[in-house]
Amino acid sequence: MTTSATRCLLRTLDENYALEDYQSGVPRWCIGCGDNAILAAVQRLCRDEQLPPEKTVFVSGIGCSSRFPHYMHTYGFHGLHGRAFPVAEGIKLKRPDLHVFVVTGDGDCCSIGTAHWIHAIRYNMNMTVLMHDNGIYGLTKNQASPTSPQGLKSNTTPRGAHLEPINPVSVNLGIRNVSFVAQAVDWIPELLHDIIAAAYHHKGFSFVRVVQRCPEYLPDRYDPWVKNPDRMLLLSHADGIQISPELSRVYRHQEKHDPADRNRAREIASVSDPMPVGVLYRNRNMPCYEDLREPDKPYTPSMVGAALNREFDKFTIWPENGEDGGAGKRG
Amino acid sequence: MCANRLAVTTLHLTGEKPHGDADGFGPLGLRPALFSAFMDLSLIRYGYPLVLIHGAGEDDLVLPLTEIMDGILIEIAPRGIEGERMRRHLLGLEKEIRILVAGGRAESLTRLWDRAAAALLSGTDGEPRRSLANSLEQARENLRYDGEVVDCREETPARVLKHIWSVAQNNKDRKLRETIDTLALKLSHILQADFMKTEEAKSAVNLKHSFGGAYESVFSFEELSRILRARPSEGPLPEKRRQRLRSALSVLQSWTFFADPGTDGEANRPTDSQAFVHDGIFSALEAYRARQPEMIDLIKAMSIAELEIQNNYRESKHDAFFDEFDEQSLEPEDLALFPGYLVCLQDGSLEAAGKSELLDALSSSLPIKVLLQNHDILDGPAAGSSQASSGIKGPQLAAMAVSLNTAFVLQASSSHLYPCRDSIFKGMAGAGPALFNVFSGSTGDTPASTAGSSHLPPYLLAAAAVESRAFPAFVYDPGAGEGWSSRLSVGVNPQAEVDWPVHHLSYEDEGLQRHTGEVAFTYVDFAACDRRNAGCLAPIPPARWNDEMIPVNEFLDLEEDQAEEKIPYILMIDNNNVLHRLVVEDKLIHAARRCRGMWRNLQELGGINEARAQEMLAREKEVWEREKEKELAQLREQTPSAPDQPPSAGQAAEVEETGPPEPAPAADAPVDEPYIETPRCTSCNECTDINDRMFAYDENVQARIADPDAGTYRQLVEAAENCQVAIIHPGKPRNQDEPGLEELALRAEPFN
Ligand SMILES: Cc1ncc(C[n+]2csc(CCOP(=O)(O)OP(=O)(O)O)c2C)c(N)n1
Ligand code: SF4
Ligand SMILES: [Mg+2]
Repeated sequence: MTTSATRCLLRTLDENYALEDYQSGVPRWCIGCGDNAILAAVQRLCRDEQLPPEKTVFVSGIGCSSRFPHYMHTYGFHGLHGRAFPVAEGIKLKRPDLHVFVVTGDGDCCSIGTAHWIHAIRYNMNMTVLMHDNGIYGLTKNQASPTSPQGLKSNTTPRGAHLEPINPVSVNLGIRNVSFVAQAVDWIPELLHDIIAAAYHHKGFSFVRVVQRCPEYLPDRYDPWVKNPDRMLLLSHADGIQISPELSRVYRHQEKHDPADRNRAREIASVSDPMPVGVLYRNRNMPCYEDLREPDKPYTPSMVGAALNREFDKFTIWPENGEDGGAGKRG
Repeated sequence: MCANRLAVTTLHLTGEKPHGDADGFGPLGLRPALFSAFMDLSLIRYGYPLVLIHGAGEDDLVLPLTEIMDGILIEIAPRGIEGERMRRHLLGLEKEIRILVAGGRAESLTRLWDRAAAALLSGTDGEPRRSLANSLEQARENLRYDGEVVDCREETPARVLKHIWSVAQNNKDRKLRETIDTLALKLSHILQADFMKTEEAKSAVNLKHSFGGAYESVFSFEELSRILRARPSEGPLPEKRRQRLRSALSVLQSWTFFADPGTDGEANRPTDSQAFVHDGIFSALEAYRARQPEMIDLIKAMSIAELEIQNNYRESKHDAFFDEFDEQSLEPEDLALFPGYLVCLQDGSLEAAGKSELLDALSSSLPIKVLLQNHDILDGPAAGSSQASSGIKGPQLAAMAVSLNTAFVLQASSSHLYPCRDSIFKGMAGAGPALFNVFSGSTGDTPASTAGSSHLPPYLLAAAAVESRAFPAFVYDPGAGEGWSSRLSVGVNPQAEVDWPVHHLSYEDEGLQRHTGEVAFTYVDFAACDRRNAGCLAPIPPARWNDEMIPVNEFLDLEEDQAEEKIPYILMIDNNNVLHRLVVEDKLIHAARRCRGMWRNLQELGGINEARAQEMLAREKEVWEREKEKELAQLREQTPSAPDQPPSAGQAAEVEETGPPEPAPAADAPVDEPYIETPRCTSCNECTDINDRMFAYDENVQARIADPDAGTYRQLVEAAENCQVAIIHPGKPRNQDEPGLEELALRAEPFN
């Protein structure tokens, strides 16, 4: 509820944020790292949406990618490895007025943080998730991650990774109350921006897997797709992402995909070559946990105090008489 | 037919003069034939009594007793004999309660229930008693509602409206309280965060205090304090801002708007009598004005708090605005947060002065909610005598209020309060003024009205008033959209799309032959309920019935020349349930025509049978069809080979190859100037790392060539080679003297 005065005064505010207003420090990422593209796309989004920096928060775990909050001139929480989601959920629950972004890596999200990830999908809280998937642990210098390709030789898999990689998009689509899943690649910045924007505009848990190149440890990993646009499959829809004519000239392989079509989304997600890019699935009707749990009254300090005291009273032991010094049993 | 002619006709048909007076008419106990099913209201299930639900929400403001009982039966009565027995028991209880209420008992539902149950049980014993007790007990356990039970009487409209008004008040109270508590909480968070930056907050004493007693001894609070103090912090809020926060907070923490002045803050529930419920417009306005300053302060503090919480308070702009904050600054949506002032008026008491005061209030934007209760709505011959004394009538006032286009206006009789409950709530909850023009159906209890002009129970008379279009129900909501039909709704009226509602009537003739037919309920049927109209109606014995006689509704549909040969009649029944035909005098026919004309206007404004709207719709449809046809034709032209068949079900998705790519114009032929396909730049820093004067980022952090002469051709070529998306085109060397150009030109080749 706002009063008419607030509404009217807010309209007259001529705040105008430039992209630089969201920049903070010089990224410590390697030159050529795909994280740079994601940062640029996110800063563009913040500027385009004019998100007040003090109303925006980036939450991350640990990893190269998770250094992201340091480079945003907004609030940030560089948390524990794999624990970005619970922190973000806490923030959203307590401060639903904030724009919450989660930045996580393939190691952070799909390895140590998997349990939190699965439940975060289930909770469907309104936040935008960028999962930087470089298929490797970058920060700790070259260990295989759950999304590393089979056979990848790394510090922890000197004879090559044994297992098939996990498919993060399919995992999302496997959770019953998933509400938004998209896939982007760092080397098509226009689409990267549009997809992150679509995720931001979706109310609910919007998961974007960004295929991100790590020139340091997996320099050629995505070359076949980067160098050959015909191996990319661009998803477009009137109710999804539209692809500009300029981009269409380069990326001719396209499919009209309705984000409401979950079965087709599953089919598309299961294919890695051609690599799909776009919004795979969106369900606008999925309820958000913070709405389901919205308290019917504000929790004032006196209410919280009274509730705690009620609980404590259940366990309080009153000495029957002064003699047993407070340790008396109740009959 | 003029009065004269009525006599002539009666003489012609019966050989007698009409009685022409109430005394000859009344003892027969005549009532409209369609009322035959309603001889004893205590025996039938209908919309009364109503229960004014305690602790009601928006969804269950009031409920008829019958609905509550039906709800319980759905819960507890199984299918089959057992369920049937329960049903009988519970309906017996319902009837008992109805009789108690009709007898004047004003109590809550649970009390009446217990009283009725005790009475029923005392009349039985043995097994039947056990079975009855069992049913009633189960039902009682499933009774989820309580509240005052009201019958349809003179005071009913005021009670029902006051009840709904108080639900709206409670809602507002709760919402405002929540909003204000939230704002206060957030303001206190800001002040608390500010406090945490102070030396005092970081002192060992405070740290110790905040920790609690248990393990105090194992911590060094001095050390903790030293560490915290050593951390750089932003410093406290400016004093001016802190003052602003504090003063807004203190207003938000001490308001008592809904409370009666004098009650303490904790217990402040909406109180009605003195502050918010009035019997005159003037006193309501005075009460409103008395509270206005507090309301302005509160809205001002709320606005400041909202801006502060959003970090959007700008002293340079907002200080001046809030310095001048007064009643002019309030908008309807602000007023809507605060209580409405209920005024209960009787039509008889509305003299000319009162009328203009009322219309003034209704044309303001103040939250004045007026109940205008009508006792005598008859227009025409019967009302002739009383018109002078009562001055303006309710329906006229309601029409005037509608024409102001500022107030919410609802017209309904007591019988239709329940179907109109949501609209009543809307009018009560809304920001602006509202008029509720209600006919109670009670004519006998007030000295002001023509005493006892009807022998019918108020419910029947109220229902008849709506049914006959004499007092049509409508809702006018000036905020409900553009145009009459979205603002005015007449849908609550029975069979709203026709002139007169038509019902089924079956009866037996003297030879015990069954007849059935459709009978319309017209204005004349309603007017016939009023003793004062006895002189305008004359019963004709069946032996004299002939083909010239036609029902009034058919008569009203005739052209004048055809009407000349016909005699209009209505059907009535007497106390012994015997059917009579009564011929109708011209005066009543004229009044019925007038009533029908007004009803048709209302229908048209409310979007029913709206001739113009229908015409417009047809035109629009035609235009739309033409456009569609054109579009289709165009489509056919554009895609001559497009398959007519829709894609088959198997084709889950269409994969399209967008033809051979047209090369980007810039890439058409090798160019001499270096350039970057900026939109495809991934901001990876490769090129800027090589030379950040030659390569620079634009406002989207995407690279462009800022100055081709700020570096060497070698750097250009290296950047092109390093760029992972290969979007740097080095062009031709600009400085022909640069060493190694030949090799560089070769390396540049693939990128140009
Ligand atoms: C609890 C815990 N376990 C292990 C680590 C070591 N660790 C730091 S980052 C990281 C992997 C990060 O991989 P990813 O999330 O893919 O980020 P990237 O560096 O690739 O962007 C690991 C295992 C840690 N910091 N904390
Ligand atoms: S190690 Fe890889 S992921 Fe990390 S900053 Fe360098 S390029 Fe990026
Ligand atoms: Mg990684």
